[in-house]
Amino acid sequence: MSSTLCCSFAKNVTLRSSDGQTFEVEEAAAQVSQTIKRMIEDGCTGSVIPVPNLTGPVLALVIEYFKKHSPPSDGCPTALLEMEIKDWDAKFVAVDNDTLLDLTLAAHYLEIQGLLDLTCHRVADILNDNSVEKIREIFHIKNDFTPEEEAEERSKIQWAFE
Amino acid sequence: MATENEAVDSFYVLPEECIASVLSFTTPSDASSSSFVSTNFRSAAESDIVWERFLPPQYRSIISRSADSSSLSSSSKKQLYLRLCDHPLLIDDGKKSFWLEKRSGKICYMLSPKDLVIVWMETPFYWRWTSLPDARFAEVAELVNVCWLEIRGKINACMLSPGTLYTAYLVFKVTTGSFGFENQPVEVAVGVGGSEGHKRTRSVFLDMERGRRQRYQIVPAARRGGPFHRHRCLPQSIEEADIGECPKERGDGWLEIELGEFFNGGDDDDDGEVEMSVLEVKGGNWKGGLIVQGFEIRPKRM
Repeated sequence: MSSTLCCSFAKNVTLRSSDGQTFEVEEAAAQVSQTIKRMIEDGCTGSVIPVPNLTGPVLALVIEYFKKHSPPSDGCPTALLEMEIKDWDAKFVAVDNDTLLDLTLAAHYLEIQGLLDLTCHRVADILNDNSVEKIREIFHIKNDFTPEEEAEERSKIQWAFE
Repeated sequence: MATENEAVDSFYVLPEECIASVLSFTTPSDASSSSFVSTNFRSAAESDIVWERFLPPQYRSIISRSADSSSLSSSSKKQLYLRLCDHPLLIDDGKKSFWLEKRSGKICYMLSPKDLVIVWMETPFYWRWTSLPDARFAEVAELVNVCWLEIRGKINACMLSPGTLYTAYLVFKVTTGSFGFENQPVEVAVGVGGSEGHKRTRSVFLDMERGRRQRYQIVPAARRGGPFHRHRCLPQSIEEADIGECPKERGDGWLEIELGEFFNGGDDDDDGEVEMSVLEVKGGNWKGGLIVQGFEIRPKRM
């Protein structure tokens, strides 16, 4: 986490995960998160910024995302750069399902709209390709309907879409 | 997340807003069917965030063109979506009917005869206005008797859903005294972009009886083509001959005949008009006994 050599002017902030790991990141990159941006604006920069909803491994991933998506220091992003980022994004969310949900939650909590769209889109693709039973299995979702309720839901959908 | 126990309800920890964001990237039917995954899926699947995404971006301005618009404003976005799928909305002084295709949320229209150009429409000897209980529009056009049959309609492509392959149809009925269409092909065409060169013209028959007779005419052809496979080939040949050539019965008591299809790219550079026409001016015979409800434009079923 020490890419500060080449950019001695960049200001860094320290983020601390729920399990106590700390990460140093450029302030401009961390502001990809609206939540962190607000905290910085409120004057939290001097000390460590706590990110209690994220574990170390998830925060490390999110920081990778920050770095890739921090505004370029030398002006507007080019079309080529945009394409490269798009490719990078696709690879970034090609992770196991549990990590994907952790990233979704992190994007929600830290208000990172780009990452939220990216992860939600990926989860939606998984939903599209699978049956309800399979979806529950993939994402470890407990079916909390009574059998009667579930039957009623199913008949409602059938009425609406068949 | 860290422990086994937490992992067992991992989706459960996602707030409803997040599930709603996920569902807004699916399709209307997938979002609906996911509502019985669990109770928090069900409540997310009802949310306005999801259904606002499934409604076409211009839905507000389309609804505002209806006399009925006030009755639609109070409902949830899902109710509104289903309402617009199941109950076509009359807009533009009742001249057009607008609805959404349920599975995709794509825009569909029927242009009433008042929105079409029908040659001789204002001469009661040739055409007259009539009202039918099962028509969407207050008045539809009845062909009494003409030699020159010409119906034209157009719609701006930007009113339709982008990136969509559409099919246009003539929606009509044949009255008991219908005449002149038995052996008379009618030229139908659809094109985008103005010039006649863009139009694809085909010949179709508006006579239902002809469709039935045609099946018998195909038999000798099939026999000549393949004596060995005669019996197995036959049903397929009939099927193929019927596609697009003769009218089909709709669920609503009307008939439809395909006028053609067109792809609406939705790019700025091809936002032309879609032109559709039904023409029979070559035969020169008298014909009559059709009731025209309109031109329907809906996404082609894949």
